[in-house]
Amino acid sequence: MDDYQTCPKCKTTKYRNPAMVLMVNACGHALCESCVELLFAKGSGACPECKCPLRRNNFRVQLFEDPAVDKEVDIRKRILKEFNKRQEDFPTLREYNDYLEEVETIIFNLVFDIDPTNTNKMIDNYKKENKDITQKNRNRQSQEEMELEELLENEKAQQSEKANLYVNAELEEKKQKHKAREKLIDELMFSDADAKSIVASHVQATAALAKEQPKAAAQSGSAVVKSSKFSSGIQIGLRGQHTNSFLPIPKQEDLPLYRYIAPIFDYDGPPPPTIETLGKLNYFANIRAANVTERAGGYTEAMSCCRALQEAMGGLFYSPQSTHKTAVVTTIHSTQDTDDMETT
Amino acid sequence: MFSTSTQRHFWMFKDETDVSNARLSANLKYISSRGKNMTVAERETHFLNATDEKSLIMSYEYQLRDFCRKFHPPMPRYVVGTALHYLKRFYVNNSVMDYPPKEILVTCVYLACKVEEFNVSMDQFVGNLKGDREKAATIILNNELLLMQQLDYQLTVHNPFRPLEGLMIDMKTRFPTFSDPERLRPGIDEFLEQVFYTDAILIYSPSQISLAAIIHSASTSKENVDEYITKILFSEDQKRLLNLIEAVKKIRVMVRNIQLPHRDTIKTLEKKLILCCNPDNNSESPAFKKRMKQSFDDEESFEDGQYPSASSEQVRSMLLGLSEMGKI
Repeated sequence: MDDYQTCPKCKTTKYRNPAMVLMVNACGHALCESCVELLFAKGSGACPECKCPLRRNNFRVQLFEDPAVDKEVDIRKRILKEFNKRQEDFPTLREYNDYLEEVETIIFNLVFDIDPTNTNKMIDNYKKENKDITQKNRNRQSQEEMELEELLENEKAQQSEKANLYVNAELEEKKQKHKAREKLIDELMFSDADAKSIVASHVQATAALAKEQPKAAAQSGSAVVKSSKFSSGIQIGLRGQHTNSFLPIPKQEDLPLYRYIAPIFDYDGPPPPTIETLGKLNYFANIRAANVTERAGGYTEAMSCCRALQEAMGGLFYSPQSTHKTAVVTTIHSTQDTDDMETT
Repeated sequence: MFSTSTQRHFWMFKDETDVSNARLSANLKYISSRGKNMTVAERETHFLNATDEKSLIMSYEYQLRDFCRKFHPPMPRYVVGTALHYLKRFYVNNSVMDYPPKEILVTCVYLACKVEEFNVSMDQFVGNLKGDREKAATIILNNELLLMQQLDYQLTVHNPFRPLEGLMIDMKTRFPTFSDPERLRPGIDEFLEQVFYTDAILIYSPSQISLAAIIHSASTSKENVDEYITKILFSEDQKRLLNLIEAVKKIRVMVRNIQLPHRDTIKTLEKKLILCCNPDNNSESPAFKKRMKQSFDDEESFEDGQYPSASSEQVRSMLLGLSEMGKI
């Protein structure tokens, strides 16, 4: 991108040297640094393209690719220093908009060199009329800027404080650990108690200490209070608007709690012993014990025993009925006299 | 569990007459659909009646048993039980003349192996059959879906073997005065084998059948297990005891009355069957071959890359193979 911009004067130099910086002058034309120096070394102060008189300090480093943009930005800055009224200074919105339009017209004229004399006259008129208001606004702006700067500095200070705190805490921990270790060694060397008990008590002490540490850290952390407001009263961030005022969760009326009801299984036969009681009733003596591989997979002989017993007992009370589809008609008669035996 | 199973809810009958009625209705339905233009007498001679069908089914059940006995790898008895169950159920709803029993027999065994998780690959399975293996494989696969459909896709079968084990364990634990119930085993096994040739499995619950087996075996060895039943099993419910006693009695009667049909009768019946069977389902008949060829031709007309077309050679070999079926 930088290679495309050519200095209009020396043309070649820009291609070869991407580090070359283009400078823009008051009339909006670009010149590379070396050409500028060259131009003013000679002493003359004329723009090579439009021949308007130039001064050395009118050259600024180009911020925008298009030098015309840079020129406009510069003029705007200059004008707005003078025309710095705000919305509060105007009684109605309409008047504020008119004022803004006036400012834009002035800037437009200056950029494109339309009717310079009139424009300048307008500027001078405005200056005379609004001198004091301009001055007041300027003071106000500078004040605000200073406040912002102060806040930024405060934040920075707080952050560095926190960082220091953490570093200190870590150092403390290390020191304590070191101390504890030394203490243990001393005890082992000089005391008469059993070595294991010393080690055990030491382990306990370190565990208790470890619990205290996070508590202490939390406490010290909360000492650094975060301010939620700027000194001018505005809330920092979006906190004030949303976080404190969530809608309350709609409360449900107390519905009955879920209660687990175990399913009742109808065997249509005498009830088989439950799987938990099988061992007690000594059923396992009569069934092949699970070998190691089977037990590893989770199989126990209780399972197959229980299953066999369930199948044996299930259906013993069954009495014949027709459930087959071809014999549907007879079913109606048979269910009536056997319904005391019937299940489902 | 049996009490919540589809077996109880959809495949149970009240008694033997109930079962015969179902078979009869299937038989009549077939006859009426096939013999519309015949007189009653003609039908009588041409078609099989219900009793003939019953004898045929029994002989095929024996064939199934034999097939499973010689099966390699050795087939556990619950697989055989399930296969017999399927066969019985299939022919309660359908007539023997409608679908050739040989094919259905093999398909039942194959399906039972799958359902009871007795893993046999198709190649292993047809290796046990005599005759052309590939044909057999095709037959089985073609019939599998039909079989499942006729079973209403209710494939779980409760056999009496596990209740038997449960009762054995219970007897050993809670009835220690009866020493060594294991000696009743041979009698029990024989009884259970026999009971599958009756309709008892369609009428009574499997635990009742296994109890009947125990009682039968005990009585043949002149033992008495009544104490076990009255004291321990039914200590709370004396009235249901009567129900059970009757059930057991009836089962034993059924087993006692098994009559293995005579060989010659079977031969004549089979000859008759070939004449009156449904040609659409019998893969030996020319009508069947014609229909198969037709369906292949139809498939070919679906061309344009949509369906893989069987080349005419494939079709011919398929038909040739099918024509030799039946020598299982």
